[in-house]
Amino acid sequence: MIPVEHYIALSAILFTIGGVGFLVRRNVLVTLMSIEIMLNAVNVALVAFNRVRSDSHTGQVFAFFLIAAEAAEVAVGLAIVLSLFRVRRTVRSDEADLLKN
Amino acid sequence: MKDFLLNVLAKKDDAVLLGFVLAFPLLGAFVNGVFGRRLGKSAVRLMALTALGLSFAAAVALFVALDISVGQHVNKLTWTAWDWMTTNARPGEPNVEIPLKFSVDALSGVMMLVVTGVGFLIHVYASEYMIADKGYWRFFCYLNLFVFSMLVLILGDNLPVLFVGWEGVGLCSYLLIGFWYTKLPNAQAGKKAFIANRIGDFGLICAMFLLVYYTGKLDWSGIAANAQALVTPNASQQVHLWPIGGGQFQDTHLGPLTIPLHLLQPGTPWTITAATAVGIALFLGCTGKSAQIPLYVWLPDAMAGPTPVSALIHAATMVTAGIYLICRLSFVFVLSPAVMTIIAFTGAATALFAATIALVQNDIKKVLAYSTVSQLGFMFLGVGSGAFTAGFFHVFTHAFFKACLFLGAGSVIHAMHARIHDDDRSQDMRNMGGLKKYMPLTYGTFAASTLAIIGFPLTSGWFSKDEILAMALVNKPVHPYAEQLAKRSIEVWSPPGWVPWLLWGMGILAATMTAFYMCRCLFLTFWGDFRGWTVGRPSMVHAEGTHEHEAAHDDHSDHEDEEGGHHHEEDLSQPGLPPHESPRPMTIPLLVLGTAAIVAGLVFNPAAVKIFKHDFSYLPMEHWLDPVFEEAKKGVGAWGDEHKTHSLELVSLVGALLAFAIGSGTAYWMYILQQGKPARELAAKVPALYQAALDKWRVDEAYDKTIIGGVDALADTAASVDQGVVDLLLARVTSLTVAAFGTVLRTIQNGVVHVYAAAMVVGLAGLGWFFTAAHADFSVAEANGDYTITAAPGPGYGFKWYPEAGGKPQSDAFIGNDTLKIHLDEGKSQTVKLEVVNAFGRVGSKEMTLTRAKTEKPAQTIVGER
Repeated sequence: MIPVEHYIALSAILFTIGGVGFLVRRNVLVTLMSIEIMLNAVNVALVAFNRVRSDSHTGQVFAFFLIAAEAAEVAVGLAIVLSLFRVRRTVRSDEADLLKN
Repeated sequence: MKDFLLNVLAKKDDAVLLGFVLAFPLLGAFVNGVFGRRLGKSAVRLMALTALGLSFAAAVALFVALDISVGQHVNKLTWTAWDWMTTNARPGEPNVEIPLKFSVDALSGVMMLVVTGVGFLIHVYASEYMIADKGYWRFFCYLNLFVFSMLVLILGDNLPVLFVGWEGVGLCSYLLIGFWYTKLPNAQAGKKAFIANRIGDFGLICAMFLLVYYTGKLDWSGIAANAQALVTPNASQQVHLWPIGGGQFQDTHLGPLTIPLHLLQPGTPWTITAATAVGIALFLGCTGKSAQIPLYVWLPDAMAGPTPVSALIHAATMVTAGIYLICRLSFVFVLSPAVMTIIAFTGAATALFAATIALVQNDIKKVLAYSTVSQLGFMFLGVGSGAFTAGFFHVFTHAFFKACLFLGAGSVIHAMHARIHDDDRSQDMRNMGGLKKYMPLTYGTFAASTLAIIGFPLTSGWFSKDEILAMALVNKPVHPYAEQLAKRSIEVWSPPGWVPWLLWGMGILAATMTAFYMCRCLFLTFWGDFRGWTVGRPSMVHAEGTHEHEAAHDDHSDHEDEEGGHHHEEDLSQPGLPPHESPRPMTIPLLVLGTAAIVAGLVFNPAAVKIFKHDFSYLPMEHWLDPVFEEAKKGVGAWGDEHKTHSLELVSLVGALLAFAIGSGTAYWMYILQQGKPARELAAKVPALYQAALDKWRVDEAYDKTIIGGVDALADTAASVDQGVVDLLLARVTSLTVAAFGTVLRTIQNGVVHVYAAAMVVGLAGLGWFFTAAHADFSVAEANGDYTITAAPGPGYGFKWYPEAGGKPQSDAFIGNDTLKIHLDEGKSQTVKLEVVNAFGRVGSKEMTLTRAKTEKPAQTIVGER
């Protein structure tokens, strides 16, 4: 059996990749994907911790809820990206400055 | 018919007729005000006259019902429209209900008839007088509204309802004085009237507060029942208000010079009862509304309004509201002989003062205006002397003859205006003369009213004015509770013996002047030759020099504007059309009022008749008002016995007749026999005095300089404080500070999502570092030197205790034991250290020095040890 530390390490690596991707990339699609990676890192951590405790399944159930929330979030996010593209002909976040000034 | 009247329309507690009397004028005001512009003049005229006519008819029916009820010992008919409000007099007292309740008794019944009756006649007159005016509908809306407000004032059963009417007539007066508001002086006159009235209203409001505080009631019968609470004759303490004086001011020494400041106030404090305070406050309200010193200044200016308004509001009805109020609350006023004397003196002084101004005025309306102020002074002299019936009777007769005089003056101005298209000069008596030939009806009624006002025997004015003068001499204000107060050794002020003679002398002097200036007005206007032919041709005016008082000063106002030319002025080089009599709707009211001016006195028992015939039994008015003044009679005594009273009345009668004879005789000699020569010579001899009287003793200017100037200065100060402190310091500085912060913060809020995300990451990292730190903390409990130190718990915490900081720990490893026990002797101290490690292996620590205080041994022991 793979010890829980490995899962946590994987989760931390994934979260860091997502966070750095979110911070440094200007492409909104990539930003969205980075957010997905971070959320999935959380999912991994939840399930891994739940595996340690055999008496409860809260972590696993919680992971399902998170997946549903992610789906909804992606639907809204992509819709926003599409609208942005229609209006500004760009998917770069730093060019989405309609509200500025 | 009689049953229907008594059982349906005018039941004792539900006299619906009262509602009708009030509703018709209100309906007229509403219709004329809202639809009047579209209805056209004839419809407006019909509406206004119908409203007043129906109201008068209802008032007559109500009066008949009241008369029958009085026969059945019901003195008052009431009607409650609805409950208005409930208020609290003072904590712990029962609530004060204030319903919108109206009532009619003997006093308000007479007043109601006067207002609706004279009001109707003046409406008829005005419907012709104002026919050429563009604001016809507006005029009648205001006039109807005025009658409604006046009826509310009269018929209201409690002070707040009266106050609604009081303010309503003030508003209508303001609107009607400034009716031709495009002319600046008119607008200013309206404003002046409104503000002077506000000062009086302040007094009335204060009086209301005091009354509800002390008596717990605001309706007439309630105040009457509890009025003695104002002097508290039986309670253990006297109600003292405002001790005035008492040595706060000490003399100041400037070197050898001593400034006697103690003269500014009495050495021992004056105290006044609540009754005096209420009386003074109420009287301040009356001076405002009824144009007495010091607030009389608005009434002469109020003549800027249309003449029917002057007749109705500023002569016959509204200005008598003050006397009505005093009569209504007579039982409060008699509780304070001081206030009664103040009222009498104010009245006499106003009568005299206004009469001196009226002596020299040239504008016919100005003469009548000051005459009104003077006559109102007579009324106050009457009520102040305790002769409430006489004072109110003068209100009644004055309403007829003064309304008639004003309407007559309006008729004259109407005729003059047709020749002279100028407001000022068509009212100038110097341009009139000989009008009796052209306007016989106006002359006849004007002369009849003049006879009444100057006190020609057996006219209405003779009866009422004589009664006032006689009562001023005879009556003495006595305190109704003097005995009870004397038992408690409380001194009640009582007027000294010279007071009635001074009052009477002032009254007689004013009556003499009245006779003089009214005859002068009559002679200048109607007698002699018409002087208006030449107006408009300055060369001839100067050449002829027939003007009255051709002193150098008074001509410039006449002729100044002629250089500019009145382009619509007709050519007056030839004698044009003569002045004409006014049309019938204007003369009929004059005839009715003129007749009333002569005969109205017969409804009263005059003192003069009583002197010759003691059992004279035809006394409708006096007995009619008896129930109203029953309570107040307790406060009116006499200076002597019956015999002395009788002789004093005779003296007064002779004095009044002499006043009439001297005043009118002098006027006849001066203006008819000598053609005005003595008057001109007199004016030339004392030009300064004459000029001062012509300028109304410059009271307006004095008020401008002192009170109005002071208020202006205060306003300027407030304005500069507003601009300097509020606007600059508070508003500007605050906005600049906020703007500066905004400028700084705006650079951070740059709209780039990634910067926000990075800031969030930094923040989260900071929070994470804080929450993973180990926090060492503990609490200490002590009993007899045994200290128990308990560490605060935390997740996965291990503890390491150092009983002596810097010494060795209890155990080398972190353990779960979170308490440490140590013992300290008295006066010793020890420093304890705690180290904590948490789940992340981070360590925190805390040190604390514990000191046990030394217990003081008892002092005895110490002494013994020595």
